[in-house]
Amino acid sequence: MSVLLSVDDLHVSYGGIAALKGVSISIDDGELVAIVGPNGAGKSTLLRTIAGLNVPRQGSLLLRGKPIIGLAPERLVADGISLVPEGRHIFGSLTVEENIRLGATTRTGRLAVKTDIERMLSLFPILKARFRQRAGQLSGGEQQMLAIARALMAAPRLLLLDEPSLGLAPLIVDALYETFTELRTGGLTVLVVEQSIRRALRAADRAYVLHTGRIVLSGRSEELRQVDNFDQAYFGAVT
Amino acid sequence: MNLVQTAIDAINLGAIYALAALGVGLIFSVMNLINFAHGELITAAAFTVYALDGQPVGIRLGAAVVAAVCLALVMERVAFRPLRKANPATLLVTSFAVSYLVQHLVVLIFGARPIGVSLLPELSESAALGELRLPLLEIATIAVTLALLAAMTFFFRRRPLGIQMRAAAEDFTMARLVGIKANRVIAAAFAMSGILAAVLAFYQVAQSGTISYRMGVDLVLVAFVSAVVGGMGSLTGAALGGMLVGMTSVALQTFLPPTWRPYRDAFLFGLFIAFLIGRPQGLVFRKAHRVRI
Repeated sequence: MSVLLSVDDLHVSYGGIAALKGVSISIDDGELVAIVGPNGAGKSTLLRTIAGLNVPRQGSLLLRGKPIIGLAPERLVADGISLVPEGRHIFGSLTVEENIRLGATTRTGRLAVKTDIERMLSLFPILKARFRQRAGQLSGGEQQMLAIARALMAAPRLLLLDEPSLGLAPLIVDALYETFTELRTGGLTVLVVEQSIRRALRAADRAYVLHTGRIVLSGRSEELRQVDNFDQAYFGAVT
Repeated sequence: MNLVQTAIDAINLGAIYALAALGVGLIFSVMNLINFAHGELITAAAFTVYALDGQPVGIRLGAAVVAAVCLALVMERVAFRPLRKANPATLLVTSFAVSYLVQHLVVLIFGARPIGVSLLPELSESAALGELRLPLLEIATIAVTLALLAAMTFFFRRRPLGIQMRAAAEDFTMARLVGIKANRVIAAAFAMSGILAAVLAFYQVAQSGTISYRMGVDLVLVAFVSAVVGGMGSLTGAALGGMLVGMTSVALQTFLPPTWRPYRDAFLFGLFIAFLIGRPQGLVFRKAHRVRI
């Protein structure tokens, strides 16, 4: 297994307030890795920084050994990083079809794009039924599927998911996670931020626990499930 | 019959204001910038038409479009791109600065006095249709506006760059996250605002026969009001807002008692203040513009 993304000693601040204080993580090709932690831990900041929306104060970000700090988000999409941000951010005034097609903005192969649209529609059949509707009319779960389909249309190497289960019914969340597992077998690498620890540990190979801008615990999911002080780490008693 | 003539006048002015509002609205939708220097794009096109006096009309009009588009792109590159992450107030002040700078460059080159220009004098005639007298310039303006609106609708619905611009107008950060190039979308919006400004300049020159370095200022104010009435951030709204403001203006001019007519604009803007108090989001509501990243 080769390292796809390595994050080393990352420091990010917002208007003078430190959000990440020296975070180091590493993700191998084909892994599904979860970042868990309470609100305000810096989980979203970490994903947004990897996607190029924040410029870190210090530290390094390597994609396959190549530094990516300072590259524009649109450039990083072309390099294989796709972010599904918290709150989905679908283009509500555009149709489902336009949203899906926009996902492939950086790609050139017409035929491959067409095949991928078919793939998305079979992965999320509900989008097929709503293909020509305005995306703003979709339900929350449908919008999340659309946001994921749109991100996948970029044919990413690394998919970043920020709280994909937020506000969705448990049944839909199950279906989403099944999809992630399926995509992984297809060789996709996934980094998911979750508030639901149980959910994350069930699906992920490994997890990092982020608390007030620092990684406080990390390991393979089955090990973490057995850690006595896991809840303590999660709630911040362990340093 | 008089009513039909008034209606044509109203549609004509509505079309003019719609083009102006679209130019301002387009830039606002992708950049959260109210570009008061849009007026100077109109001025630049008009002075190009003047400078090429004696050349064939096609060359004068073509060169004017090129001049306005180039000036728009230069503004974007030199003044606005370095400030893209700045807050909207900074951008607004910058647009005023650019506006004054261009105005006084024009004064430096052409002087401050209004200049007479003749463009397409044939259009100042009227075609008789029964008892109706149709001013050719108004008919041409309405036709050109409709053609432009149709072309823009096609562009925004069907062309990949147009769809990217709609996406960027709705959520700029997310647009970048799907790989849409921020610079490309914004430059395209500025180029289009240049084209719209040039068409306005043709109308202004043909209609009034004079140009001056401040000719764009009033129009950009009306454009701004129209865009706000239509709903800032929505292009359909901008077009409708312009149409509404223009038509209301002509209606007031026609139906106000003669002694009140000199105060038409007071009534006009009073009406729209009342409208905005009742409906501050404007005609077409677009989900609040997020702060750009």
